[in-house]
Amino acid sequence: MMNGYWVILRTELFSLFISPATYVSTFYFLALLGVGFRFFIESFAGTNWILPPLSSLSVGLIFGSPALIPFLTMRTIAEERRLGTLETLMSAPINAGSIITGKWCASYIFFLLICCGAYAYPLLLWAVFPEQALTLGFNNFEHWIGGFIFLMSFGASFTAIGIFASSVTRNQMVAGMLSFSLITLYLAIMAFSYGDPSEVSTNSSFEELIQSIGGSLNNGLDKLQFFAVGIIHIPTILHQLIVVFLFLFLATLQVERIRH
Amino acid sequence: MSSDTKPLPIIEVLNIKKRYGLIQALKGISFSVGKGEIVGFLGPNGAGKSTTLKILSGLIPADSGEAKVCGVDLAEEEGEVRNHIGFLPENNPLPEDLRVIEYLNFRAMLKGLKGSRKRDRIRIVLDVCDLERKVSERKIGNLSKGYRQRVGIADALLSEPRLVILDEPTIGLDPRQSAITRKMMERLRGEVTFLLSSHILSEVEACCDRMIILSHGQIVAEGTLHELQTEFINKTVFEVVALTNRIDIHKKVRVLDDSCELLQDEPVEINGKRRFIFSTEKGEVLAEKILRHLLKDASLRIFEFQITKPDLETIFLRATKKNWEESDLLAKKSRRIYKENST
Repeated sequence: MMNGYWVILRTELFSLFISPATYVSTFYFLALLGVGFRFFIESFAGTNWILPPLSSLSVGLIFGSPALIPFLTMRTIAEERRLGTLETLMSAPINAGSIITGKWCASYIFFLLICCGAYAYPLLLWAVFPEQALTLGFNNFEHWIGGFIFLMSFGASFTAIGIFASSVTRNQMVAGMLSFSLITLYLAIMAFSYGDPSEVSTNSSFEELIQSIGGSLNNGLDKLQFFAVGIIHIPTILHQLIVVFLFLFLATLQVERIRH
Repeated sequence: MSSDTKPLPIIEVLNIKKRYGLIQALKGISFSVGKGEIVGFLGPNGAGKSTTLKILSGLIPADSGEAKVCGVDLAEEEGEVRNHIGFLPENNPLPEDLRVIEYLNFRAMLKGLKGSRKRDRIRIVLDVCDLERKVSERKIGNLSKGYRQRVGIADALLSEPRLVILDEPTIGLDPRQSAITRKMMERLRGEVTFLLSSHILSEVEACCDRMIILSHGQIVAEGTLHELQTEFINKTVFEVVALTNRIDIHKKVRVLDDSCELLQDEPVEINGKRRFIFSTEKGEVLAEKILRHLLKDASLRIFEFQITKPDLETIFLRATKKNWEESDLLAKKSRRIYKENST
């Protein structure tokens, strides 16, 4: 069954690389992100941004992901269901879990490649204007690594949400809109609680439980403060892993349900 | 192939049942298929053919009963069976944007074929299915129905399966393309076991060793054509081509033989004339008497009369008709009970 996972991953990556839609969406996304990053860097001195300037790239990528991730994931299962090829696929010695994980990994790898593309902007800036880059703190590698790990953990859960959305419908557009809505909702919950003073300790164990279940949803964007300065916040990563497993599990159940 | 010399079973099915919501798709069917046999699965729409084939290919589970395919128990190792079989689903869904060679490559890798074995198998199946080099480089979305069907069959044969299950392999194909599919099965006869479902009775008659006829989720007939002819139509069958209606001619025939049965519900129309098929238990002599009796009535306008051997179509109609009648009776009974209960 492991063989099936690799084959699906390879094929999905191949189809993402040959799809014009992926290139068009990636180009526009990176172009907009580049323009935004340029204006932010230019006006950075006048803003009250307390985090390192490099973190703006992570924020841009995370808040842009509701528009980007549906393009990477909406086809995956919905198209197979529309064409009926899911049945053909299942007639081979492969299980639903391998199909879902293979497709998710392909979308996730492509998302990370786009993130790498986005990180080319500060690199370019550093190469062309080294003095300004030093002033902006681009020489702190922990900022780069922290920001990228933040993107890796949230990117993983968002692509899992996209794969789940694609598994519940035969229509790509519906899958795309559903994944856009779910990711936006996730970000909205994170953003609403941003900046609220978080209680260091609470007397109620029930509240503690609720907060731990809420994980990165609760004061989610505050966690960026850790990653932006290079602190790897393990609970956030674990929480994102739970979200990944939950949505991939739901997508697998959905594929099994279609089969039966 | 008679039942006495049946080879070792590659499929053993015992009382499998399947229900989709309120509909009982399979009502407990049992059969076996020997190694190297070509078995045709026949039945009207909704008879349960595709459900049975999907269960046997490990795509869906049965609700109850036992099924073993290539020695693998489907209830215990549903996924394992897919290593031993090739399956062509109904309507043969294929990815439109892949080239034939890319698709076969992908499927070969999924089935665990690697390196030179993968290349050899792809070359062999392309040859067996008459998919020449030019076609193998084309995108599947641009292929004709016949070529797409051949791609599906090539995929089913890729991993040298012991059993190939084909769900309606010739649906929508022209006679030439159907003949190519039959030729392909002939080439592999004896090496591979084929289980295929079809609506085209002449085709099943031409290429299958045995037939299993399903109706309303039950097996209503099973055996070689000869066995079915003996079992179902141990009567004299005769055809009459006339310019009359079903009721009039049946009434005339029944004057001489009350047990004489009209085998079709609706006669086949040819150039405005109708072809009626009757069966009688009283032999050819009575059939001749009936002809003479019919000829006396000019209003019937008899054009042809022929005493025939029953073909698969006649057997199929005869086998399924009884089942339809029983089902109708059951439905009427349940409606009556429902009415009685509600009043």
